[in-house]
Amino acid sequence: MHIPDGFLSPETSIATYAVAVPLLIVGFKRLKRNLNEETLPLISALSALSFVIMMFNIPIPGGTSAHAIGAVAIAILFGPWVAFVAISLVLFIQAVVFGDGGISTWAANALGMGFVGSFVGYYVFRALKNFKFAPFVAGYLGIVASALFIGIVLGVQPYFWSENGKPLYFPFGLGVTLPAMVGVHLLIGTAEGILTQIVYKLVGQKSLEEVLA
Amino acid sequence: MKRRVFLLLAFLLALVPLGLLSDAPAWGEWDAEYFQKVLGYVPEGIRHIGSSIHLPILLSDYQLRGVSEVAGYYLSAFVGVALLFGLYYTIYLLVKRRS
Repeated sequence: MHIPDGFLSPETSIATYAVAVPLLIVGFKRLKRNLNEETLPLISALSALSFVIMMFNIPIPGGTSAHAIGAVAIAILFGPWVAFVAISLVLFIQAVVFGDGGISTWAANALGMGFVGSFVGYYVFRALKNFKFAPFVAGYLGIVASALFIGIVLGVQPYFWSENGKPLYFPFGLGVTLPAMVGVHLLIGTAEGILTQIVYKLVGQKSLEEVLA
Repeated sequence: MKRRVFLLLAFLLALVPLGLLSDAPAWGEWDAEYFQKVLGYVPEGIRHIGSSIHLPILLSDYQLRGVSEVAGYYLSAFVGVALLFGLYYTIYLLVKRRS
């Protein structure tokens, strides 16, 4: 789901940065409020977990692969704002140190994998709170929502930015990107769901309330 | 509680070479050659950026030149995890100092 440099028009990059930066400032304020001696190891470990889980490329029929993200687990434990910042930091390190995803596309990737996934997952979890598998469903729908967002950002490129009928940036339209991105993540959603359920179980609601108290 | 999350992290770190089993690229994360093959040309912006952005990527594609794929992947996983812990600790210290 990591959009590389060059796949988005400069206008898209600027627009996504303009949206993401103010949101990140809000998120950082929330993170600062939540960060203390007790939560520091857990937030660090969950972000590291997200980084590592993204290295597990799972083969998908049709010659492609995808991975879980781990955003929703952080979102239901520490809130969607903290999860958004955490995933953005992971994406930054991936782009700068490992060349995974881009710099000009960092904001778009952070909005998709971080913001959209975290908030959708968080509110689905809240809505289903008493259901045993709420974390699974939240993780599943969160990553599908992320894929939908990334699919839209990629898919609109050829409509707006083409020259002499040749796309300048990402060349495939929504008719291709939406079925592909969403379709792949309808499968991968299972992995995100299982991860979310496991992490939620491991941390446990009670001990989390103690930490945050 | 924290210990269990750290154990899960250690467990996944140990298994990280499994991520190498699929050599298929993620959908939409193709390189320029893919577009050349499928479209017969590389979109201008993708071609242009390929020759303009030259960050010194140390562990490109989670690999280190000269070491095996598995070793490079392990190294990348540890470096990424260490950087994240370092980053959060730095943020924590900055927050603590200000308050």
